[in-house]
Amino acid sequence: MIRRSAAALLAGAAALYAIPALAAEPPSDPIARGRAVLEAAGGCSCHTDFDGDGPPLAGGRPLATPFGSYFSTNITPDVETGIGSWSDDDFIRAMREGRAPDGSAYFPVFPYTSFTGMTDDDLLALKAYLFSLPPSRLENRPPDAWPPFSWRLAASAWQWLNFAPSRFVPDPARSPAWNRGAYLVHAVAHCGECHTPRNLAGALDTSRWLSGTTDGPEGELAPNITPHETTGIGRWTAADIVWYLQMGLDPDGDDAQGLMREVIEHGYQHIPRADLDAIAEYLASVPPVENQLLEHDHGDH
Amino acid sequence: MSTHSTWPRSRHAPGVVGLALCVLLSQSPAHAQAPETSDEGTLKYRQKLMSGVGADMGAIGDILKYGLPLQSHIVAHARMLSQRADLVAAAFERNVSAGPTDAKPEIWSKPEEFRQLTQDMKAEAGKLAEIAASGDAAAIGRQVKALGDACGSCHDSFRKPKEESYKRAGGGS
Repeated sequence: MIRRSAAALLAGAAALYAIPALAAEPPSDPIARGRAVLEAAGGCSCHTDFDGDGPPLAGGRPLATPFGSYFSTNITPDVETGIGSWSDDDFIRAMREGRAPDGSAYFPVFPYTSFTGMTDDDLLALKAYLFSLPPSRLENRPPDAWPPFSWRLAASAWQWLNFAPSRFVPDPARSPAWNRGAYLVHAVAHCGECHTPRNLAGALDTSRWLSGTTDGPEGELAPNITPHETTGIGRWTAADIVWYLQMGLDPDGDDAQGLMREVIEHGYQHIPRADLDAIAEYLASVPPVENQLLEHDHGDH
Repeated sequence: MSTHSTWPRSRHAPGVVGLALCVLLSQSPAHAQAPETSDEGTLKYRQKLMSGVGADMGAIGDILKYGLPLQSHIVAHARMLSQRADLVAAAFERNVSAGPTDAKPEIWSKPEEFRQLTQDMKAEAGKLAEIAASGDAAAIGRQVKALGDACGSCHDSFRKPKEESYKRAGGGS
């Protein structure tokens, strides 16, 4: 009996490992595909004001940055206060170019700097999913930041200096899985937005890509996720990374905290297993950067 | 001469030896200067206890993520976690929040809430022990996540976040 249940468990181990994930094949229904895109983006959870019991994805959540507080926007299909009146082009321009339908620039707290790499297919599927959700009425709020960081024109200037819309370009020398992982990490899952240090202008310092920062969004410490042996996640196996993104538990058994816990809960845990493997493969390949943010208490991990 | 002759012959000898031992022990330095419960020691103990919780969670993770043929160990680790939940509740009764610790003072301003969360951990760990014995792989996965979430709920309110941790490296980024 014991042997049989152990065998059943063993047989189920592979299934278990993938339990929270969706089917590996992308769903053909654009709304279901869009939901998968939203989940790979961490559930777009910054657009929900959990602390204020705000309606899902209706914005209004304060996002503390070194330049002041910005409020996430309403991305429900409410016509007056959300994105209900947006065309496909409006949506693509916002995500890829960081521009509102009226042409004004978004502040870079909205990570269009990453989403710019997303494919039309993924963007339109995401829009289809968002438009399938119930509209919630909630007016967007202006930032509570210090001038000039509160000025829309400053956002335009910032874009002019720091941003050029660009698609993700696959590297033909690498495997399809690696390229898929790179696409997810760079564009959809927008890992770099929290895990890459920023320069004085608030732009990502790509020379220290994914090496972590003590000044992450909401003032959080975002760990070094480069494969650096002692200051990054160089000792994590691919299975550790997959498990972490599914379960929110690191190799030491500690739980993910803060924004990371949130994006796992509302999104990453549902990423299909093959995509999680791809993310792990890509992360293991980025240049290791030494950047110690936390002392290591046990001399391991 | 047999070796026996070197032993005391009196029937009372064992008692005498025992008494002598007691006297000796009672005068040993450990007893003469019973250490006061130190804050530093409390912090060190609590950290080892919590590392043990992490070790059990990490071990369960390894068994599952690598498909190790040690499935029965999940039950054992879950039972240990259930016991550790009581140890955690007891270990944090004494208010030590200064020094190198990630424990938030709220533990002692909201002791009931803290205690309840340790009991939630105990309940989720107990459920995992039951479910792990059943062999339902998907259910085990869900329950490991539920237990991890119980860790997270308590840490959310009662453990300093990484950016405030005493383990924060001096230089930063």
